[in-house]
Order: sequence, then structure tokens, then C-alpha cells
Amino acid sequence: MDEDTSTLKTQLYSSCEETANGDPGKLFTQEDLMALDVIPPKDVKKLLKIIQVLTDERLFAPVYMPSGLAWRLRPQAEAAKYKLLTTSDQVMAYEIIDNAGAEGAWQQDIKRRLNVQDHALRKALKELEAKRLVVQFTTVENTSKKMWIKANIKPSSRATGGPWYTDQFLDEAFIEALQGVVMSFIKNRGSYLSKSGGGGGADRRRSLSPVVPKKGVINGSSSPAALKSKKRTADAISTSDPTTTTTTTTTSIDLPPSSSPHKSRRTAVRLPLPAGYTEYATTEEITAGIQAAEVAKGQPLKREHVQELIDVLVWDNRVEEVRLGGHVVGYRAVRVAKQSTALDSRPGTDDFWEPRSNGLTTVPCGRCPVFDLCEEGGPVWAGGCEYFDQWLA
Amino acid sequence: MLVTKNAAELCVLLVNELYGQLPSRLMATLISKGRLTVPHLAHHTSLNHRQVRHGIVVLVQQSLVFTFTDQDSAVTYYEANVDGAYNLIRTGKILDMIDTKFGRPAKLLVHDVLLLGHAEIAEVVRRYKGERTSQKKPGDVDPCRNHVNGDGALSPFTDSEEPDPAGEAYNVLAQLIGLGFLESVSTMTYQSPQDFKSTVEQDVLKDFPNGVRGSKQASEYDTRLRERMREIRAERTSLKRELEMKIEFEPSAKRRKLLNGGASNGLTLTSGGYWLRDQEGHTVIRLNYEKCLVELRNQKLAEQVEDLIGDTTAHVYRAVLSALSRKISGCQADPSTMTDDELMGVRVKTGEVYEHLNPSVDVSAGIGTASEDEIDIRRAEKIRRYPPETKGSSLRATLEEGDELMASDDEDYDHSAETGNGSAVNGSRESKADVVNGDVSPRSYRLRWMRQHLLILAESKQGFVRHCGSDEWTVDFSPLLQHLRYLELDTMIEETFGRQGLRLTRILREKGKIDDKTLPTMALMRKPDVHVKMAEMEMAGFLDVQEVPRDNNRAANRTIFFWFFDEERTLKRTLDNTYKSMVRCLQRLEVERRKKRNVLSVTERKDVKGMEEEKLRGDVYNEYIQFLELEKKLLGQVSRLDDLVAIFRDF
Repeated sequence: MDEDTSTLKTQLYSSCEETANGDPGKLFTQEDLMALDVIPPKDVKKLLKIIQVLTDERLFAPVYMPSGLAWRLRPQAEAAKYKLLTTSDQVMAYEIIDNAGAEGAWQQDIKRRLNVQDHALRKALKELEAKRLVVQFTTVENTSKKMWIKANIKPSSRATGGPWYTDQFLDEAFIEALQGVVMSFIKNRGSYLSKSGGGGGADRRRSLSPVVPKKGVINGSSSPAALKSKKRTADAISTSDPTTTTTTTTTSIDLPPSSSPHKSRRTAVRLPLPAGYTEYATTEEITAGIQAAEVAKGQPLKREHVQELIDVLVWDNRVEEVRLGGHVVGYRAVRVAKQSTALDSRPGTDDFWEPRSNGLTTVPCGRCPVFDLCEEGGPVWAGGCEYFDQWLA
Repeated sequence: MLVTKNAAELCVLLVNELYGQLPSRLMATLISKGRLTVPHLAHHTSLNHRQVRHGIVVLVQQSLVFTFTDQDSAVTYYEANVDGAYNLIRTGKILDMIDTKFGRPAKLLVHDVLLLGHAEIAEVVRRYKGERTSQKKPGDVDPCRNHVNGDGALSPFTDSEEPDPAGEAYNVLAQLIGLGFLESVSTMTYQSPQDFKSTVEQDVLKDFPNGVRGSKQASEYDTRLRERMREIRAERTSLKRELEMKIEFEPSAKRRKLLNGGASNGLTLTSGGYWLRDQEGHTVIRLNYEKCLVELRNQKLAEQVEDLIGDTTAHVYRAVLSALSRKISGCQADPSTMTDDELMGVRVKTGEVYEHLNPSVDVSAGIGTASEDEIDIRRAEKIRRYPPETKGSSLRATLEEGDELMASDDEDYDHSAETGNGSAVNGSRESKADVVNGDVSPRSYRLRWMRQHLLILAESKQGFVRHCGSDEWTVDFSPLLQHLRYLELDTMIEETFGRQGLRLTRILREKGKIDDKTLPTMALMRKPDVHVKMAEMEMAGFLDVQEVPRDNNRAANRTIFFWFFDEERTLKRTLDNTYKSMVRCLQRLEVERRKKRNVLSVTERKDVKGMEEEKLRGDVYNEYIQFLELEKKLLGQVSRLDDLVAIFRDF
């Protein structure tokens, strides 16, 4: 290698480094390299020679693009590692693992691409591992696959599963807890918590209505109104001790939520916000809220992770989208009137003080495991049905 | 009409429950065999002709069969009216609805009409008069009491001065017919819809002696047919329109309407009542189930709003719906007979809604307060001129299409709130007080708050209301009900398969077909958990799976499994399951009756009926009360299941 080539090579490499500006994925085509003004113009032969030298020294990694050949820069420290390799099998295997980057390479895949004997590959990989150049790891997508990655980088979030995985296992408790945080954030931002007699007011208004049965009528359990009405809570209200309801303002938070849904309803109620409200929580705000609350320490949650959580809540039918003009999307809780008034939220258990129900969820048939077999005169029939027995008892 | 086995069973059970074994046996045969003549019916049921004719009379009286007489052979065919039979289940609900909307007298009258199936107006009034005079005697049985869906135990009449029950009856009937809850009966109404249509077609075809040839004649034939249909419809509703006019010009009508049709005092006949008594005494009327369904739909929708948004908003929504439903004659109108007005969709002005709003509702409650700068008034008041398209199956797709339509009139919003009311529209509670003390009338104050509720409804995800023009509102029923169907389905899935099950089905509904590798990452669930849930739901028939082999070997590990959610099938299945559940409830009731037949046979006795408490021995009485509780529970469930059927099928 003559002097000229050597200097040109260094110049080209350093100017490429400058252009790439720290972006390791930047690709250089032949035109790009010419445009750097290092190689004399139109001297393609020279360029070819220098590229060849650089590639040999592993400073350039060729990449095959649909439009043609291009080169990626390889840092000098990385390139030096190739010098440690002794056999061609090692070089080729390491090249594949190196190119796979953070995604890692599957052992089976390496074997297929190199077309070498199994034991030869295993030997090469073992040697590479001994030189602390590569390590084996498992991805959450397929735990049985033998995956290899360069020793100095961490597996990608796709391989580790992002923040939702702890040691290759989905951290469900963590997700549940975060969902609770997101839910309460959305709920408290997107509804108005009326504490001062809001609930009482609701009851008063209800009894004024001519359509909804009056209070006096509903008390009689045999009255048609009580039968027809879905609100079985009315009975609970009339039987509940009136002295406790006055104290629930202070104690409702301490009580287990399952035991006092009716009482908490009377002291406070959630109201919808006026139409056109612009302050519904957006994904960015929820992300910031989670970061500020420091609930996920050590696991920096990005916007897209929070978006995943919100999407799941939308699918769970707990929150809904609201368009805030343009492409900004806010979120608010569904069934705001029936949302629990508690400030925090644990998903699944106590979201609503009155769960939705319909005919099929209340009648035993709706959940009967042998419903398809049920037939007059068959092994299962309405007259001898034990679920009906239980239900009617 | 084609019905499933469960629906047929249900209809037969209902007829049996109300009209006994003979009609129900005929009904069962008619449903399973299709249209039959009397001799054929006798053959299939092993009854003699006399018995068959007896049974048929009951069925015809209650419009449970359609009849069709062949002009040439003079043979009459009978065909089961399955919808009519199903409607029997709604008797209680309809009476309840009439009671709350029009008051006691109307309920009694409708009850009489229902008992009679169809009857002359004079006859209905005569019965009503008889009942009112006998009501005065204490201890008499409430006529609703024996009715299966009648809920008995109603408070006795409180108003003592009732000088002219007949006049009152005519007034109320005029109102009910004018609003379309009762309809006049003609020979046409006894034909099945298909027969009716083919009769009209034959009729029109007579004008084309050489048959319909070519596109020009075909289009002419079509327009003639449509015209003829419209004429017939107009004929059928002529009585209604006549009375409608009279109600419109009645000076006191507005007041009465505002009082929710409360007792008109019966002292004077309204002009409609006069007209009815003098001109139309012999007109035969029956209940118009279609119109009643509209009213029941309104109730259901308002209940949904109460559940999803809040009860004050639900009151406002009730007002919107009752204002709208004056212009709606049925839930699922036939587009071929619709007028242009109906095709455009009915709309109401804010003022009209206000007229229908119950004056005792405090409209200023039920909305959270927000400071003015947090409100985007242009977005709140945005006008959506076009209904959302219901193309495609996934909800997300429909919403996006709707949004695009809206984007086209992005700058279009209702300015009336700004100009008319100044800045206090969304004001906090403090500013509210100022306005009251100021010179703003209570009407405009209430109107403004009512508008806020309307805007919330318009903004709702379900699209309860569409702000379709400046100060104009409409409801797009079909997309809204599609939403409600999903809501009920979701409720069921969540109840049966938990939150995770709901999550998975909703993902599939939104994204279409998904293979079982991507699903766990989207749902943030563990893979085995997902598989267990999916298999569970597939067993229950909520999900389907499609196998796509990657090569010819069809080995399991070389096959992609796509899960998907077949909405139409699921809805159909759920509807049929609902029928089946109803059947089971009724069957169970029958079993319970048989168990308690000792007690029940005693209570059937004339001297015990109505005063069970005094006449029965303590333990027997307790047993009787227990049975009544049980009956209530079962019938209550049947009526809740009917709510579901209504949402899935009728609304």
C-alpha cells in the first residue's frame, strides 16, 4: 500500500465519520463517497481501490441495497476485533452476528447462511464466546431459540420485550399497577368530581321525575316499580342505616370499596364535563404524569409504551378517545356517571359502582356451561335445572 | 317468515300462556308447516274442524295469524304471524309506557283494546264505561290483575269526580289514534306483508296487459307500484291524520302534552273526541306495535344515556326523543314507502326539545364546571351535516369515515350560542347566579343549560345526537343502535370471560384477523393466557379461527392461525340464545306452577280470588306469596331478555 492510498484512506474514513455524525446506520453509496471531495473527481478506479482497502480492514461494511451496493462505517474499535479472529468460520460467523446488531442472530440462521457443518459452527461460536466477542441470549418471542449477540451491546427491546418484561417473563403485576395509574389519571382529568351534595342532588332530582318511580313507591318490594326497575340499589338505600350515611364523607375512603358502593355514591358523584372541553389527558401528558409520579422507577416509560397501556384500556372498554381538534387525541373515562368516585383506580375490580348487566348476564342460562345441551326431555332441561334452583332459592 | 326453533318455541309458549292450549297447538302447527287451510290444520293437529275453527277465531281476533283468501277457489289459507305472537311479551311494557305517557285512563283503554285484539271504538268505550262504574265498588278485581304481564297492585283511582267516562274515553282515544299508538284496521291488515305486496303488484300489473317489457316500462311499473303503496298507506292512516290535525289545532292540546298527557278532566269533549264519537264509532282499531316500539326504544336509549352520561342528560335526551318521535312512525321504516322528508331524517329545533322537557328537571345540574378557556366552543358547537356512514364492519373504520366527512365542514359551527347568550354559556356556577339575578328570563336560562346537555350528547362517542344544523338536532338511529348492540355484546363477554376476554374480542373487532403470535403483544398478556382465553371463547362461539397452511404438509407448526370475530354470526347466535333463555324461563315457570298446583288451584276459586289474604290459611298463603315472588322473578327476567331482543332485532 503506497503512501497516497494510505492517506486517502484515512481522509475518506474521517470525512465519512464526520458526515455520519454519530449515526452508525448511515449508508454511503458510491456517489456519496465521491461527493465527499476526498478522491480526485472521476477517478473511480482509485475510489474502488480505497474502498477495497477499507473493506479489508473491516472499517467499511458492505450493505446490499436494492438500488446497488452501499457501505456502512464500522468504528475502529469494532474493526480491531476482527483481528482477533483466527479462522474463516469465526470471521464469517462474527460478521453475521455483527450485522444483526441488537436484534441478534439465530444459530440456525447462521448455519443456513454459512452452509457449514454443525460442529464447525459450534466450534467457531465457542471460540468467539471464549474471546468474549459474542454471548448467547434468549428472546421473549421464542424462548427456545439459540440467539447470539455481540458481547458489548444489549439485546433490542423487541428481543427483551421492552419494559413489560422482567427476565423474559411478562410482568403482569407491573402492567396492572401502571394501568391503574393511567386509569386514575384519565378519570380524574376527564370528569368533574362533585362532592358537595352532588349525589344527594342526583337522588332528589330523580325522585322529582315523573318517568322514574317516586321514592315512596320504590320502597315496597312488591311494587311494580321495584320489580321493573333495574336499580336494585334502591332497596339497599332504604335499608341502609341512615346514621352511617352521614359519616361516610370521612370514612368512605377507608372502607373496602366493595362494601360501600351505594354510600359513596350518595356523598359524591362524577359528572361529565361540558362539550368542547380541551383539557382531556393526552398520551404525552399521561407519560409526563407517570414520570413525575415516579411509579416506574428504573424503567423509563416512553410515549409508545404508555400508548400501549392506553390502547389496552380502550379495548377493555374503560376509556374512550376524544378528538381535541387536529390530530390531538385525548382520553376520558367511559360511563362517567357510574365511575367509582375513588381517586385511585385498580383495574378490573372496582371501576364502576354499578356494573353493567343485561338479561343474559343475570339469567342463569346466560352463563350455563351446558346451554347447548339444554332441551325439553333431554338430560338437561329447565324443570330440573340446578342453576335455576340456586337462582330461584 | 323464517324463524329459528327457539323463536318458534317461544311464540307457542306465549300463546299458550295467554290463550290456552288450543290456539297454541294451532300456532305450533302453523309455524312448522307454513300456511295451511282449515282441513289441513285439522289433519295435522288431529283435531276436528269445529275445534280448529274455534282456535282460529282466537288467533284471528288477536292478529296472531294472517289470512289469505284465494279469489278463484274461495279457499282461505292461514299463516302464523310470528312477530305478532312475539309482541305478546311486550304487553306489560307497553301498558306501562302508555300509563306514564298518557295516564291511567289511556292505560285502561289500551288494556281493553289489547284484551279484545281488535274492536270497534264504540265497543271499547262501552267496556271502559262499565269498568269505571264497577271500579267504584270496593274490593273488585283490577282488570289488569289477571293479565300475565299486567303487574296488578295499582293504586285505585284517586280523583272522585268523573262525570263522563265516555267523553273522556273518546278524548283519550282520539289522542292515542292521532299520535299513532292505535291504528284502524282494514282487511289489508290481515294479510301477511308478502301477500299484501303481491296483491298490490297484481293490481298494478293489470294496467300492463302485455306484461312489463323494457327498462322504460319497468321503471314506470316501479313508480306506479310505489305510488299505489303510498296511497294504500295514506288510506290506512287517514283516521290518524284527521285526528292529528284536530289535535294540532286544539287550544288545550299543547298544555295537555306538556303535562305528559295527564288526565284531561273529561268535562268537555275535544273536537277530536267529538268527531270520533259521531263519525267513527264503528271504526275498528287495534294497537300499533310499531309506534309503541318507537316509544320503547326512546325509553331504552334514555336509560342508556343515564347509564353512560348521567341522569340529567338523560332527561334532556328523553325530551329530544319525544320531540323526534312525533315524526317517526316505526323503528325500521321501509325505504320504499318513505316520503322524502323521512328519507332526509327528521330533525328538531332546540325550542321544540325544550317544549318536551319536563319542567321539574334541574338542567343546570349534571355537568361538571370548567373554566371558559378550557372550552373549545368551535369544537363543541361543530355542525355535522351528514350522518356517519355505516360501511364496513369495524367500528374504527366507521368512525374515521365519519371524521373525514366532518372535516369537510370543519369551519362550520353553530354561532347561535355565541351571539345570543354572550360568554356565560359555559360559565362557572358563580356566573350562573349572576345571570339569574340579571334580566335573563328563566326560559332562556334553562334553554342554555339544556343546550349544554345536548352538546354533550352530540360529543358522545356513541353519537346519541347529531348537531345537524344551526339549532337543529337529529338522531341517527341505525349507527347508534349498532353501538348499543356492541355494548350489550361487550357486557355479556365481559361478564362471561372477564376483562381480558373483552380486550381480545375488541382487538379482533378493531383489527380484523390476527394471528395468535401478535395478539399477546397487543393485549399485553402472557401467551398461554391468551391461548386459554381464545380457546374458551371459541368454544362458546364468540370467536372463530381460520387456519392458513404455509406449505402443503399442513403441519400444525407450519400453519398460521388467524383469529377473528364474526359480528353478524355472533349477534344472530346471541339473539337465538336470548330466545332460548326466555323459553327456559317460561318452561321453568310452568314447572313451578305444577309444583304448587295445590295452592294455585285454591287461589283460582272465585270466592278466594282477590282476597287471598283473608281467605287462605296462613301457611298456604305464605306458599302462595312465595310463588308470586318466583313468578315475578321469572317474568321480570323474561322482560329483561326481551329488552335484549328489542335491541338486537327490533330497534
